[in-house]
Amino acid sequence: MLGRRWWTPWLWLAPALALLGVFLVYPVVDTLRRSFLDERSKNFVGLDNYRFIIDNPQPLVSDTHSALLNNVMWLTLFTAITVSLGLIIAVLAGRVRYEAVAKSAIFIPMAISFVAASVIWRFMYEFNSDIGTANAAVTSLGGDATAWLQNTNAPQTWLTDAGPDTLPRPIQINNLALVMVGVWMWTGFAMIVLSAGLKGISTEVLEAARVDGANEWQIFWRVIIPIMSPTIVVVATTLVIQGLKKFDLVWVMTGGRFKTDVVATLFYKEAFRIGDFGVGAALAVVLLLWVLPIMVISIRRFQFQEETR
Amino acid sequence: MFGSKMSRLLFILLAIVALAGLAFVACGDDEEEGEEIGTVDVLGIWGDEELVSFETMVAPWEEDTGGGMEFTGTRDITTVITTRVEGGDPPDVAIPAEVGRFQQFATEGKLTPLSACEGLEDAVRANYPQGFIDLGTVDGTLYGFFMKADTKGTIWYNPKFFDENGYEPLTADSTWDDLIALSDQILADGTPPWSIGVESGEASGWPGTDWIQQILLNEAGGTVYDGVIDGSVPFTDAQVKDAWEKFGEVALTEGYTVQGGAVGINAANFVDSSYPPFESPPTAAMVYLGGFASGFITDQFPDAVAGEDFDFFPFPGGAVTGGANIVYAFNDDATTCSFLNYLVSAEAQEIWVNIGGFTSVNSQVSLDSYPDAVARAQAEQLAGAEVFRFDLDDAIGGALQLAEFDGVTQYLANPDDLDNILAGIEASRE
Repeated sequence: MLGRRWWTPWLWLAPALALLGVFLVYPVVDTLRRSFLDERSKNFVGLDNYRFIIDNPQPLVSDTHSALLNNVMWLTLFTAITVSLGLIIAVLAGRVRYEAVAKSAIFIPMAISFVAASVIWRFMYEFNSDIGTANAAVTSLGGDATAWLQNTNAPQTWLTDAGPDTLPRPIQINNLALVMVGVWMWTGFAMIVLSAGLKGISTEVLEAARVDGANEWQIFWRVIIPIMSPTIVVVATTLVIQGLKKFDLVWVMTGGRFKTDVVATLFYKEAFRIGDFGVGAALAVVLLLWVLPIMVISIRRFQFQEETR
Repeated sequence: MFGSKMSRLLFILLAIVALAGLAFVACGDDEEEGEEIGTVDVLGIWGDEELVSFETMVAPWEEDTGGGMEFTGTRDITTVITTRVEGGDPPDVAIPAEVGRFQQFATEGKLTPLSACEGLEDAVRANYPQGFIDLGTVDGTLYGFFMKADTKGTIWYNPKFFDENGYEPLTADSTWDDLIALSDQILADGTPPWSIGVESGEASGWPGTDWIQQILLNEAGGTVYDGVIDGSVPFTDAQVKDAWEKFGEVALTEGYTVQGGAVGINAANFVDSSYPPFESPPTAAMVYLGGFASGFITDQFPDAVAGEDFDFFPFPGGAVTGGANIVYAFNDDATTCSFLNYLVSAEAQEIWVNIGGFTSVNSQVSLDSYPDAVARAQAEQLAGAEVFRFDLDDAIGGALQLAEFDGVTQYLANPDDLDNILAGIEASRE
C-alpha cells in the first residue's frame, strides 16, 4: 500500500520542499554567487566586494563601517531596552486592577504596520515645533528644538550644550530617536510573552519565598528572574534578530541618511539604487552570517528544552 | 482499483500540473501580437493628478488604435526597473527622470534604437533640440527622447510683496553679486530673503545640488559643467568648490534663510520650503526650486493666481539647467512603436501642456497651448536659453549622484570640511 513505501513521506513533503527551494535555498545560493561577481554579475572578482565592506572606500554613499556599527547598536540597545521595559511593565501591570487596559495600550503599537508607524513618528520628530510633538515638548520645557532625524551628534552635546563627542559613533541623537520608535513598537510583544511567563509561576513558590522573609526586591531578582530566564531568552533572541534585520523603520524615517544606515538598508541601496549587485549581495551575506549563529543557538536551545521535557 | 486516498492524491497532482500549464500559457500570452495593436506596458513615475493628465493625453491614441495602456507608476523607479530588467521582464516603455541607468541599459544592448520604429527617429531629429538629442544618444545611436521637461533656472517670488517693498526682480543679465545685493536689501528690511529645504528622505540634499549646478553653469560655463559629468573635471576642482561656497553664502549667511541655517535647512522638506514667500504675510522673499514648484504653490494656495501671486525670475547669469523625463523602449512591437510615435508628437503633448504642469521640448508645440503666462515663460526659458544643460546629478546617476546628495547635507552641517567632502564625492566616481 501507499502508506508503506519509503518515498511516501517525501511525496507529501515535496510541495513544501519545492517552495523552500524556490523562495529560500535558490535566493541564498544566488546571493552567495553574486557576492563574488562584479556589479552587473558578469565577471568573477574574488573577494573584492568583501574588501569594499572592510575598506569602506565610499563613506559618503555607503558607509559600511557605520552601517555595521549601527547594527551592533540596534541589537544591543534595542534588545536591552525593549526586554527591560517589557519585563518591568509585565510585573507592574500584573499588580493593578486595570491590567487589561494597561496591557492593551502598550500592545496596540504592535497592531500598526511598521511603515505606518514610521510615518507617524516622522511627524512626532518634525523639526518645526508647531508640528513635531517631541520638539513641542522640549521647547515648552525651555529647551532648544533639535532635528531629531538629522542630528548626528552624541546626546550629551545637546543636553549639556557643549563638550566634544566622547561616546562611540553610533550613539547619535538620530540613531537613538530611531531605536526609541523600535522600542515603542516591540515593547508590547515583549510584555505579552513575559507576562504569560510570569502568570506561569506558581503562587506557592512566591508565598514560600515571602514566608522565608524575602522582600519584593529579592523575590524579583532571586525568584522571578531565574524561573523566567528561558522566556526572557526567547524574547531576547526574537528581538536580536529583529534588530539585525531592521529595514522598514530606518528606510521610511531617514532613508539611511545622516549616518543611520544599517546593513539591510545599505544592501538594498547598493543593489537597487546604485545598481552594484556585487556589494549588495556581499552585504546581504554578511548579514546572513551574522544572524546564523543566533538562529543556531536558539534552535539548539529549543531542542534541548524538548528533550528535557 | 485505486483507493480513495490514491485518487485524491492523483487529483492534487493533476491540479498542480494544470495550474503550472496555465501559468505557462499566461506567460506566453503577449508574445505573438503581429500587426494588431495590443496593450502597452509602461513604467513611469507619475501618480495622482499627473497620472490623470498622462492618461488624458494617451486616451486619443487608445481610441484611434484600439490599444490600451497598462501604467505602473512608482517614485522608486530606478529600483523597479533594475529588478525587472535583471529578472528578464522589462516593461515595453519606461519613462523615468534619470538618464544614468538609461545609458547603462543602452550600453548593455538592452534597449531598442528609435530607428527600429518607422518614422520615430526622424520625428525626434526634426523637432527636438540638439542638446536633448545628444542626451538620448549612446555610442552614436538614438535610443530615447524627452518629454515633460522642467527648467531649473527659476527663482520664485511673490510679485505683490516685491512691489510693496520696491524690490526689482532680477533678469538673465544680472550677476551673482546682484543676487547677493538683493538678498542683503531684503534682509535689511527685516525679512529673511530665502527659503531653502533639502529634506527628501533617502534623496535628501538634491535641492542643494540644483543650486550648485545652476551656479556652476553660470560661473564656470558649459565646458567645466560637462567635464564634471564625464570625469575630466573632478569635484575637487577650484571652480566646483567655488560654486559650493557660493551656495553656502546663501544657505549659511546669518539671517538669510527663514529656516535659520544649516540645521533647519537639512530638516525642512523641499515641498514645504516652497510655501513661505506666498504666506500672508510672507515669511521669506524667494525660493529657488525648478519649474515644478509652481505645482507645490498652487496645491498649497489654491487661490494663488499665476503672475500676480507667484512668479519667477531667471537665475542670474542666463544659463539654464533642467530636468526631463526620458522615454525609451525595450522592444519594437507594433504596439510599442505606435505608442511612441504618438507620444513624440506635438498633438499628443499639447493635450497635457493645456492641462498644465507640463513643459514640452518639442518645437512644434505651440506656445499658445500653455495655460498661463508663467507656464509659457518656463517653456520660453527652456527653448530660448543660450546655454542649456541637463540636471548634473541626474546625468551622472548611480553612486556619484547619491554621494553628491550626501555631500550637500554634510557641507551644510560642517562647512569647514568642504575639501574633504568634495574629495569624498569624487571617490564615489566609478
